Amino acid sequence: MPRNRKRAIGCVALFSSLMVAMAGCGSQTETSTTEPGSGTAASNLTGTIKINGSSTVQPIANAVKEEFAKLYPDVTVSVDGKGTGNGFKMFQDKETDISDASRPIKPGEFEACKENGVEFIEMPVAYDGLTIVVHPKNDWVDTLTVDQLKQIFVGADAAKKWSDVDSSWPEETIEIFSPGTGSGTYDYFREVVIGKSEAALRNDMNLNEDDNVLVNGVAGNPYAIGFFGVAYYEESKDKLKAAKIVNPKDEQAYLPTPENIASGAYAPFSRPLFIYVSTASLPRAEVATFVSYFLDNAPTLCERVGYVRLPDEIMQRAMNNLDAENAGTHYIDADGNSRSGAVADIYQPENLTK
Amino acid sequence: MSSMPDAIVKQDAKYLADNARRRKQFSLWFYFLCVAIALISVVILVVLMISIWSQGQSRLSSDLLTRSHSELEIERSGMWPAILGSLFVCGTCALVALPLGVGTAVFLEEFQPTNKLLRWIHGFVQLNISNLAGVPSIVYGLLGLTVFVYMFNVFGQIRVNESAGMEIMGYKHFYQVLTLEPGHVVFVPQSDPTKRQTTFDEPFQAVDPDGNSIEISIWTPGTPKPSDPAIRRQTVRAGAIGGTITERSWYYFRLPFDKSFLSGGLTLALVILPIIIISSQESLRGVPSSLREASMGLGATTWQTVRDVCLPAALPGIMTGAILAMGRAIGEAAPILVVMGAAVAKSTGPKHLMDDAVTMPVLIFNWAGRQQDEFKELSAAAIIVLLVVLLLLNSTAIYIRHHVQKAQS
Repeated sequence: MPRNRKRAIGCVALFSSLMVAMAGCGSQTETSTTEPGSGTAASNLTGTIKINGSSTVQPIANAVKEEFAKLYPDVTVSVDGKGTGNGFKMFQDKETDISDASRPIKPGEFEACKENGVEFIEMPVAYDGLTIVVHPKNDWVDTLTVDQLKQIFVGADAAKKWSDVDSSWPEETIEIFSPGTGSGTYDYFREVVIGKSEAALRNDMNLNEDDNVLVNGVAGNPYAIGFFGVAYYEESKDKLKAAKIVNPKDEQAYLPTPENIASGAYAPFSRPLFIYVSTASLPRAEVATFVSYFLDNAPTLCERVGYVRLPDEIMQRAMNNLDAENAGTHYIDADGNSRSGAVADIYQPENLTK
Repeated sequence: MSSMPDAIVKQDAKYLADNARRRKQFSLWFYFLCVAIALISVVILVVLMISIWSQGQSRLSSDLLTRSHSELEIERSGMWPAILGSLFVCGTCALVALPLGVGTAVFLEEFQPTNKLLRWIHGFVQLNISNLAGVPSIVYGLLGLTVFVYMFNVFGQIRVNESAGMEIMGYKHFYQVLTLEPGHVVFVPQSDPTKRQTTFDEPFQAVDPDGNSIEISIWTPGTPKPSDPAIRRQTVRAGAIGGTITERSWYYFRLPFDKSFLSGGLTLALVILPIIIISSQESLRGVPSSLREASMGLGATTWQTVRDVCLPAALPGIMTGAILAMGRAIGEAAPILVVMGAAVAKSTGPKHLMDDAVTMPVLIFNWAGRQQDEFKELSAAAIIVLLVVLLLLNSTAIYIRHHVQKAQS
């Protein structure tokens, strides 16, 4: 009997020591070797930076973190992606240093930040375009206006059939694929087609958080329509057709190409992506170094992960805000209402609301 | 005699033969139906395996096993930190859930109370455990978030720049100050931990990486700036701000646990606890009561009976349940996402008790949702690795079980 017990104890000990051994062996991975000839010795800067927020911005933050780690190997940057809204919740509870956002901060979130004494600097880092896609066999939709999109996407009396939008179009039921209501992409689209009201898009859409499902859904039905970020469209160009969107300002229809997004011609569906940095964290050497590195490298790195760079002028304004520590948002006016429009018009020093 | 019905006295041979043939045929059909049903699950599994294999095999490389997630060199992304993270989380989970689960099962099966009130409580616990086994794991995730990550905020909230919760051991706080040499910092030991930031206007003492004290001088803008790098490394600008950084030993311990691998492991332990309890109860129930009675008859106490008779006899069954439960734990993504977040770009495994970790299911979930084809292939390859790790862990457990069984017989 005692021998059995010893055996059993031995087995448990073996198992736990296996675990400890796992722990013991260096959990270091070679992320990458610094290029020879770069000549800079790695810095001894250390510390921890917590980032949470939009899963759309997560790849950009990851890419910046990756390059940053080559220069500052001792700094720990954790980049989570629980969604823009959740990110702001954690940000106002002082759980994070930086909040990633795929839309500007909302008045309610801004109020909560004020109440909790969280001040931040708002900085756009890249462009993302919303692509409206249809099936390649769809030969009746080439261009869409915002009004037509309203007819398709908004309200209980929204168009059920294509012919309800335009009588020359086929009398077939429209099937709609949309990102989930929790995503910044859905929020942004809703804001463009509905405006500032809190009304929701029509409730009989196929909602899915997984963009691949949306791609396959639209690719599988000639009478379907859907929307998602431009990076996804780039990867599935062969399966889908992007609709040209009529810019309300110059009445021209534009495709969501990187050039059109960067020039602002692809309006109103090109959106800026932001980072919000807590001013309380900025005095910390690691945060200050990381954020200025982020702004310096965002244009090149965001392109490498499928987004569109912002014009240098806007990046310069962001750097000025960081330098001067101009806290506040440009997207909410003094009365607490959201501003909407092109980032070049809104992200101006005179629009800053503390 | 004559009152017997005709059908019994004079049996119809043709009818009987037909009936027998029909019954045999029906039995044969049923047999084939059972085989077909059994094969369907195998076929589904094989199809899944083949599709995963064909998608992922091109990405099975040493990079996948040794490197970490990379956004800029997708084709060289790897999952080493995730493998380590999963092992840590599941190790924590096993160390907590196995003793608790088996202990609970022993109590419920072997120590059944006779008192009416206690019996009622016993029944109440039993009923709850049976129900808990059916609760979706995301609910456990939310529970873990409240209980382990925030601990109801009784130990204070962890806030950046303000408080690090209730730190208990394994930490040293320093102020980190930038020197005049770009990228070079010096560290000043912290005397008052409540002061998270401090400003330096007077020359002060700092420590170098070896712990030796070095004298740091102050440069006031407007006066000549030193140009020698060695001096610049020991000079800070007047008014420089030192922010708190923490040096953590591996045994660093703090309440609440925040988004650490410990929280993840403890939450998973909650998820699999009911499964372990129920399967352990079943195997204890399978121990013949004659064994118990014999042991009692020799004068053994209840505890001695449990320890030397029931548990050894039930051990193989208990281990089978544990293996199944751990298989579920290693692949569980929902509660981990809630408790530990969705960060994937971590380049190391956990370094101290309160460190966060990436786990394999979360990494697979993230990769599978990316638009780049490389990531989709990588997620298939990562699934293969996950299955292999699971098989390795299971075969170790099965080997141990076999060993224990042999030792008993």
